[in-house]
Amino acid sequence: MLNTDIFTQIGLNHYLFLSAILFVIGMAGVLLRRNAIVLLMSIELMLNAVNISFVAFSKYSGKMEGQIMVFFVMTIAAAEAAVGLALAVTIFKRFREVNIRFFEHLKG
Amino acid sequence: MNPEAFLFWFLSIVTVSAGLAVVLLTNPIYAALSLAMTMVGVAAVFVTLNAYFLAGVQLIVYAGAVMVLFVMVLMLFDLKAEIQAFSRGNLSGFLKIGSVAMLGGLIIGAIVMSSNSLLGNNLPDLVVEADGSKQLGKLLFSKYLFGFEALGVLLMVVAVGAVALARSKGGTHAKH
Amino acid sequence: MGTDVFQIAVNCIKLVIVFLLMVQAVPLLVWLERRGSAFIQNRFGPNRVGPLGLLQLLADAVKFLFKEEFVPANAVKFLYYAAPVAALVPATLAFAAIPLSTPVSVDAFEMFGQTWGPYTFLWQGYEINVGIVYVLGVSSLAAYSILMAGWGSGNKFSLMGALRASSQIISYELALGLSIVGVIMMYGTFNLTEMIAQQQGTLSFQFLGHTITSSWLPNWGIFYQPLGALIFFAATFAESNRLPFDLAEGEAELVAGFHVEYGGFKMLLFFIGEYGHMLVASALMATFFFGGWGIPFVGVAEVQAWAATVVGAGTSASLLTGLVHFMVFTLKLAIFLWIFIHVRWTLPRFRYDQLMELGWKTMLPWALFNTVLTSIIFLIAHS
Repeated sequence: MLNTDIFTQIGLNHYLFLSAILFVIGMAGVLLRRNAIVLLMSIELMLNAVNISFVAFSKYSGKMEGQIMVFFVMTIAAAEAAVGLALAVTIFKRFREVNIRFFEHLKG
Repeated sequence: MNPEAFLFWFLSIVTVSAGLAVVLLTNPIYAALSLAMTMVGVAAVFVTLNAYFLAGVQLIVYAGAVMVLFVMVLMLFDLKAEIQAFSRGNLSGFLKIGSVAMLGGLIIGAIVMSSNSLLGNNLPDLVVEADGSKQLGKLLFSKYLFGFEALGVLLMVVAVGAVALARSKGGTHAKH
Repeated sequence: MGTDVFQIAVNCIKLVIVFLLMVQAVPLLVWLERRGSAFIQNRFGPNRVGPLGLLQLLADAVKFLFKEEFVPANAVKFLYYAAPVAALVPATLAFAAIPLSTPVSVDAFEMFGQTWGPYTFLWQGYEINVGIVYVLGVSSLAAYSILMAGWGSGNKFSLMGALRASSQIISYELALGLSIVGVIMMYGTFNLTEMIAQQQGTLSFQFLGHTITSSWLPNWGIFYQPLGALIFFAATFAESNRLPFDLAEGEAELVAGFHVEYGGFKMLLFFIGEYGHMLVASALMATFFFGGWGIPFVGVAEVQAWAATVVGAGTSASLLTGLVHFMVFTLKLAIFLWIFIHVRWTLPRFRYDQLMELGWKTMLPWALFNTVLTSIIFLIAHS
């Protein structure tokens, strides 16, 4: 008889695995994609993955601190998206494209 | 199969496949829409973890505001499908995928190895009530008040900075 | 969902019924809008099909179904077809979370040689503890269907309309969210059912240790939060893209905005979405500021006692009580819906920059002021 506990008993580890997989996908996006906006979106994906593990720890340890952290992460993520989009808009105005290589021209 | 497990597997499949779509789709608009899908999925995962308030905030902040901004900017740019969506070079590509795989392996290995020492086996009783939002608010406005205020200042700075950036004529790279 | 077969079945049927309630209200509203606009503009409106033109709805539905299926050449097929369906989702999900009446308690009974019950069923799709946050979150997803439609149509006018509409929705969401912070502070809960429960009876509140009561005013939120109510109602006009905030459609400049390229049944789905938003907005307005399903000056217990004398105590009395309160809720809803329609046919459209100025420079500061004022008054009153 095959042990199906791993599929039916959902615990902390399941959520951590989900979070890890999402984080790795986001990381792959950051490394592989060339479009600056897609890069930003991949970073959002990574932050969301971290949020899942925060909330999971919060539930399984019975402490609210994890959820507070998620609150902070969300705010930071929104701020980051605003600045990133503003940068992308500036780059687009100048080069008519948002490929990441144009960000090299940003220095001084 | 109990409903809890079914919900988890369903949500994780939706979230992970939408997340994969973000990275793999070459049309940035589709990528943004699937990221919005991921956000909704993550909000649902929060619900399964009893974080109802955070799920609502996730919907409002991420799915309702941040992602709409992304989609709007993308539509304004009118990029269509990209000519070169992924970075060039086989070698560097393999290196990048390899490093991503290593990172994934590291994290998953860490989870597996520490699952005994983590709270995995001896779960304490859940003290988080069904309605955790009151608890969350009390904690946020007492113990973490300083962080909260700092966040407020940060948001202010970011708002000013974003407006200044978006309105600038290109700075040192201005076309004259 | 429930613990046994009967409860799960009833809850599932209830979900479908709540959805149908929303969808079926739309043809009625369309009729009301057309007749109402005719009444305001001193003409007849549709009055040929059936009594008072009521069967016009059926004729329209048949017309919509038999229209030619048309896809513009430049359209992005997937988004073009997905957008109308997505337009339906947010309003439906939000409406299902709004309590429509008092809970119905079913006594234990025998069926199929087995004892079932007792149960308590709520008159709503599902109860959510953080009701307000959920409703706001879900209805903020409405921007996607508009953006998808605008982009998917492959038409400049559509895209312009979509961008306008979505930036409008994002801007007014702030004022909307802030205007009900005062309400949340006042009731101390996110739960819509608890809010309604606190609005029963006559006006009475504590101030500086004195209890102030009024004999002729119901205990409704509007008397505590008049400014919040005003801002909330104005912002919901913008959220549901109705005149005077329907810049997204602006016939004069944008032809019809994001749904220029849609016809037939797909157009109908957009319609249902828009009217659904109106329904949700009116229901929230009634719930926050006008006592929800509560009847002014008549408590739930009195209605229950009356119902018991009519149909006998027990399940049927509880059901009748629920029905009566549901009718009251529908009446309140109808009043707000009529205001929506009346405003549409009375006021002219804003200019786009005026719209943004109103949102950011007028409504947002006033909503913020309302929040601060409410908290200061609370601090004083409870000191």
